[in-house]
Amino acid sequence: MSIIIEVEQLSRNFGGLTAVKDVSFTVEEGEIFGLIGPNGAGKTTLFNLMTGITPVSKGTIKYKGHLLTGLPPFRIAAQGIGRTFQNIRLFKGLSALDNIKVAQHSRTVSGLISGIFGLSKCRLEEKRATEKAWKILNLVGLSDRAMELAANFSYGDQRRLEIGRALALDPNVLLLDEPAAGMNAAEKHSLTRFICEISEQFNLTLLLIEHHVPLVMNLCDRIAVLNFGELITIGSPAEVQKNPAVIEAYLGAE
Amino acid sequence: MEDFLQNNGFLLVTLTQQALLAISLYYPLMTGQLSVASPGFYAVGGYIAAIMGTIDFFAPWRAVLGWAIFPLEWLIAGLVSAVLAVLVGIPALRLRGIYLALATIAFVEILRVLCLNMEITGGAIGIFGVPQMFENRWSYIWVFGPLLIIMLLFTWRLEQTRVGRAFKAVREDEMAADCMGVNPTYFKVMAFVIGAVLAGVVGAMSAPFLNTWNARQGTFDASIAYLAYVLIGGSRSMWGPVMGAILLAALPEILRPLKDARLIINGLVLIIASIYLPQGIVGALQRLRIFMIRRVSSMSGGS
Repeated sequence: MSIIIEVEQLSRNFGGLTAVKDVSFTVEEGEIFGLIGPNGAGKTTLFNLMTGITPVSKGTIKYKGHLLTGLPPFRIAAQGIGRTFQNIRLFKGLSALDNIKVAQHSRTVSGLISGIFGLSKCRLEEKRATEKAWKILNLVGLSDRAMELAANFSYGDQRRLEIGRALALDPNVLLLDEPAAGMNAAEKHSLTRFICEISEQFNLTLLLIEHHVPLVMNLCDRIAVLNFGELITIGSPAEVQKNPAVIEAYLGAE
Repeated sequence: MEDFLQNNGFLLVTLTQQALLAISLYYPLMTGQLSVASPGFYAVGGYIAAIMGTIDFFAPWRAVLGWAIFPLEWLIAGLVSAVLAVLVGIPALRLRGIYLALATIAFVEILRVLCLNMEITGGAIGIFGVPQMFENRWSYIWVFGPLLIIMLLFTWRLEQTRVGRAFKAVREDEMAADCMGVNPTYFKVMAFVIGAVLAGVVGAMSAPFLNTWNARQGTFDASIAYLAYVLIGGSRSMWGPVMGAILLAALPEILRPLKDARLIINGLVLIIASIYLPQGIVGALQRLRIFMIRRVSSMSGGS
């Protein structure tokens, strides 16, 4: 096992508020790494820092030894870091198929002119992109509705489509921001299985923000707990569950 | 036929020209950017054609090239518009929504005031006697018509390609597109430049057509008119701006018997359309189609 993500002394201030403060951790290749903490602990901010949406105030993020800090989001995505969003950000006016084809952007090269004239190279590329998009739609179980607009999908299907879209990037690392939010028990259960399947099938390293405790405890190899932007502890699910600082963060001190 | 063209040729060419300008405004909108800079590039293109067609410096060129000077004018108008669009687009496209609209209005105004005060553009009087391409007005359909067909084919193809998908992804959700590997700035500037080049070329074709060119050609009024084309027609498909342009540009002619009252009707059409057709004519037609399909399928299902 080798280290794939290395976060060092990472901080981000919004004016006077420190959303993330001196956070350091490493993620091993193939690991499922959970990120938990009370509301406002800085979990999503951490994802935004890692994907380049929010600029870093201090500290570094390395991916396979290369520095990610300072790169724009599309370059980080092209290196193989995919993500989903807490509040689902699909391309709502595009079909499910096109949503997935957009995410293959950095793996394809057709330009304006070559695309319009349909040069044979581009036609082949387009054909492959479509085939791959169908494969992914099959995987997330939405292939029978490929031509429907993403806006018309149910909440659970939108979540699955968003994971499918991130998979189309050919990621090595996938950041899932509350994938089970708003799902019922049965949906959560099938989602857990689905996440296990894709992480093995695609040899993914997963970072997972989640509030649903059983899901996190079942899935994750290790868990990091954030509170008020600071990292309280990292450890196996069993260790984290027993940690008094974690209990205090969630329930308050006695 | 000859009579019809003599009487309506000017209108026919104008409709085609306005449809092209509406498409030039549709391009930035494909990436979700509300830019009304088209009249500025249209004015620049027209001045380039007018200057190349009239001043002494280009006299030997005109003598050697003959009719071929016109395509050369289009080419140069397109190139100048592209360079100007990159220079304006990169800073301006950092703005969003109404702020970008305001910045592009300012761009159009700056160009207008510049042209009003420069010697080479003929100041307030403008440039007269721009050489004609054809002997009559309606023949200009042979340049505007093919350009419209080319642009429709170009846009239709584009929407099915990687670049077209990137445009739409940026329109739908810029941040999500960024996180999926699409460089939003690059595609926003690209769409802006395509629209600018089109407006510039249309301007260069229009100067001979109108015979004269002056600072009244690219104004705030034109910005609003083109925006109305897109709003009335619909901004989600290329047919929207084309239909909007043809309808709104034809309306004053159709209502000519009403004399001054036609302006009231014109305004009413705008207001009614924006209330009852929020997605434009094309959006309304699409909804009507879905409604009809459902009606038909439910009827056949019931029997």
